[in-house]
Amino acid sequence: MAKPTDLVQGTLDLLILKTISLEPKHGWAIAKRIQQVSQEALQIQQGSLYPALHRLEQQAWNKAEWRPTETGRMAKFYSLTSSGRKQLERELANWASTAINIVVQEA
Amino acid sequence: MRMLDKVRLRLRSLFRRPNVEFELETELRFHLDQLIEENISSGMPPEEARRAAQRMIGGIAQYKEECRDMRRVNFVEDLVQDVRYTIRSLAKSPGFTGVVVATLALGIGANIAIFTIVHGVLLRPLDYPKPDQLMYLTAEAPAIGGTRSALSAPEYIEFRQMNRSFAAVGAYSTGGAAYTTGEVNLTAGDRPLRVRSISVDAHLLKALSIQPEQGRFFSDEETARWTGTLPPPIAILSHELWRTAFGQRPLVGQKVEIEGRRHEIVGIMPPGADVMDNHTQVWLPLWLHPNTAAQRGAHVLYVIARLKGGITAKVAQTELSAFLENWGDRVGTTDHVPTNRPLRSVDHTLQLRALQDAIVGNASRPIWVLQAAVGFVLLIVCANLANLVMARAGARRREFVLRTALGASRGRLLRQSVTEGAVMSGAGGILGLWLASAGVRALIRAYPTSIPRTSELAINLPVLLVALGLSTGTALLFGFVALGRGRTSSMAAALKEGARGSSGAWRHYARRGLVIAQVAFAVMLVIGAGLLVQTVYNLTRIDAGFDRSRLVTFSMTLPMANSEPVTRAQAYQRVLDRLRSVPGVLGTVAMSGLPPNRTPDAIATPIENYTSDDGRPFEIIDYYQFVMGDYFGTMGIPIVAGRGFERTDTASQGKVAIVDETLAKRIWKGQNPIGRRLRPPGGSFGASDDVWHTVIGVAKDVRQRGVERPAGTELYVSLDQHGVAPPSMSVVMRTTLPPAALSGTIQRVVREVDAAVPVVRLRDMDSVFAESIRRPRLLAQLLGSFAGLALLLAAIGTYGVLSYIVTERRREIGIRVALGATRSHVLTQIVKEGLQVTALGVTIGLAGALAVNRLFASLLFGVQPTDTATIGFVIATITAVAVVASWLPAWRASRLDPNVVLRDE
Repeated sequence: MAKPTDLVQGTLDLLILKTISLEPKHGWAIAKRIQQVSQEALQIQQGSLYPALHRLEQQAWNKAEWRPTETGRMAKFYSLTSSGRKQLERELANWASTAINIVVQEA
Repeated sequence: MRMLDKVRLRLRSLFRRPNVEFELETELRFHLDQLIEENISSGMPPEEARRAAQRMIGGIAQYKEECRDMRRVNFVEDLVQDVRYTIRSLAKSPGFTGVVVATLALGIGANIAIFTIVHGVLLRPLDYPKPDQLMYLTAEAPAIGGTRSALSAPEYIEFRQMNRSFAAVGAYSTGGAAYTTGEVNLTAGDRPLRVRSISVDAHLLKALSIQPEQGRFFSDEETARWTGTLPPPIAILSHELWRTAFGQRPLVGQKVEIEGRRHEIVGIMPPGADVMDNHTQVWLPLWLHPNTAAQRGAHVLYVIARLKGGITAKVAQTELSAFLENWGDRVGTTDHVPTNRPLRSVDHTLQLRALQDAIVGNASRPIWVLQAAVGFVLLIVCANLANLVMARAGARRREFVLRTALGASRGRLLRQSVTEGAVMSGAGGILGLWLASAGVRALIRAYPTSIPRTSELAINLPVLLVALGLSTGTALLFGFVALGRGRTSSMAAALKEGARGSSGAWRHYARRGLVIAQVAFAVMLVIGAGLLVQTVYNLTRIDAGFDRSRLVTFSMTLPMANSEPVTRAQAYQRVLDRLRSVPGVLGTVAMSGLPPNRTPDAIATPIENYTSDDGRPFEIIDYYQFVMGDYFGTMGIPIVAGRGFERTDTASQGKVAIVDETLAKRIWKGQNPIGRRLRPPGGSFGASDDVWHTVIGVAKDVRQRGVERPAGTELYVSLDQHGVAPPSMSVVMRTTLPPAALSGTIQRVVREVDAAVPVVRLRDMDSVFAESIRRPRLLAQLLGSFAGLALLLAAIGTYGVLSYIVTERRREIGIRVALGATRSHVLTQIVKEGLQVTALGVTIGLAGALAVNRLFASLLFGVQPTDTATIGFVIATITAVAVVASWLPAWRASRLDPNVVLRDE
């Protein structure tokens, strides 16, 4: 793990995929949403978020389109692709057995 | 589907780059704005909100870079960017770029050129199927120094029948049998040509596994039936001769005149087909005179054999050794059979070696020496360039540090430096490749016979791979050297340091070390070149035993088929008479073997009242020289005892002979040889009987087989007295005219005597000598130029490092001058530093030279590898070069104005 303060990369990917699985969101909204849901426990740094989004896009797990926000500004909205949905399901299924979960439970 | 999406996205990232960049920018900007808004809505004043947001968001540039990295096309993008940037930055310093590319081109070019030769001559397998199965069988007679001689016909046939290791054993002859040289006269249309010939038997082509491309090969019947007085009139032409002399017109089945007889062309060989690098143009059936074929002492056949599949050379060698134990018992004779223990002068043994080694012969060592030399040159080039690149990197440290601060990763910077290296090495490599191909072509043109297998030399795939490897290696080296220093320094320190342009201690050591290495390699090369130059000088100054100045020579061969010894003598006499009447010609003689580069005859000669060491009444005499005219007078060979041939001898009944000092000493051992008698076989020069010849004089020794070899035993016979002549003679004229001025006259005279006879090898004696030392001369020239290059590069290196030291110590020097140091003091101080570095390099170089000189000794003549004069000269030269190279920076240092320098800081 390059940066100790970062989330484990796979975990961040999972969180992002989960967050955009309900509806398309832009980066800011994704960060805010994760922050809210985790009750301010997870502060996603921009430096981690955007590279992750681009990485997922390159993997074709999410796709992006430019749309206006409620305020009328153009923003890049990310939504889940069908392969991204499959990936999310796989990740969720694996979650119980992931290293982190085991470590957390054993410790 | 997903695959397609991915590809589409990457292509988009790559080719719609401006769009992607813009989107990234907008996306991050949106995030920033959201953050600012949030800050404002939580009650911050707008300015402060913006600053806080920016602080929070940190280095946008860095995020962008990371996002780009995530898009995975950065590698290609960066490469394009790096190359573009590199070309821009290199173009900005054309001097630096020019020096680097030119130096690299020379270094890489020299290496490719020599490697082309190493590969083409030494490494590349021979052009036959399964070439490693081919072996070469020779006779060796160590007691008389005969090496790599031919076999006798009975031996050849016995070996072919006895052996179990070989699938095929074949023989060839380039002379000795029907023709005295490996050349024949051939008439193409009405043009008389002298072409390279080889006489082969059917077994040989089976052994080599080559087939004519048209027509057929000789049958066993045609090449093994040694009867009659002449070989069957059939021939096969090389593809090249067929193309150049006959314009590729259909020729198989037609007649062509060879040696005055109509020969049927039965086949055309495929392009490049040859035996033993003979440059064969016409293939003739192997034929021996029945007498020669029966003689065990007549060594006339060269034997090539192909191992059976699965049999190693070692097995074949063991088998041969077993045969040699009791060859005589096996074949039922005690007369002149090969043995394992050749102790007496008449004994010989047989030796097998790989055909490729036999072809390359002793050319391999000089070629490896050259390869090592250019390897050194390349190391010097690299050391020099490493120095240059370091100097430049020093100047660019600020740039690199700044780029690091702006988010460039270490790997990214390294890639940038390596790209710069690659662009320069690539340019150097391409230029070098061009230089090499031009160089190799020029070399082959200038020295067509000095290097074996040149007809097959080419810059091919393995050579290109080596070129690519060299370029890549140097590119990587540069990249790392350029960046090497940055690794250890902290950014802040580097920025501060960079501002002042000084740097740490290791750079000093590294740069000095590089110069020391350059000097050391240069010393080794210059010593090698010095020794070789001296070798060539010694070779040119050898007294070959005759006065070589103002001699013009040519050769001619009267076809044996339609000439008799007596008519040949008359024809030669006519040629000589007519040439003697040409104005400017002082004397004209003819001889059977042109010194100093002829083949030995080794003829067993009965001697009256004589018993050799092994109890025989004859001695093998190395050279027979059959002469017409005043041979000794015209050649300028002193008669040391008795007298030379005189006109009165011609009519006299008693046959006379002259011996050389070596023969007189060998046979009569200090007693007076005048009046003694020998009986040379008449067949050797066309006389019908063997008659006793009385020795009338002793001539000074003449070098016959290469100027560097001691003279052998030699017997002179006057053909004027016998009225006969062998088919081939060399004519020598003492004249004030150059060969070119005589060419027309000579051609006319010979044409008048026989229109079908070409004049060959018309040149002056100096060219004959130059030819005899061509290989050491070539080696000396090549090594000399590499050494010169090395010296130049070492001088540049010394200059560079001293300039750098002076620049770095401007302040110190300024202070010292301000405190009263004189200019001459500063000057000597800097020159001294240059000399210290040089002295260390010279010491290491000398040690290196002494370590490798053993490998070198066999290439030298008349000079020891430890020759003090040469070493002294080299040290003096290098020191002088170092002083010159140090002078300019030292002078510049001594001119420093302390006011200016100290205010600068």
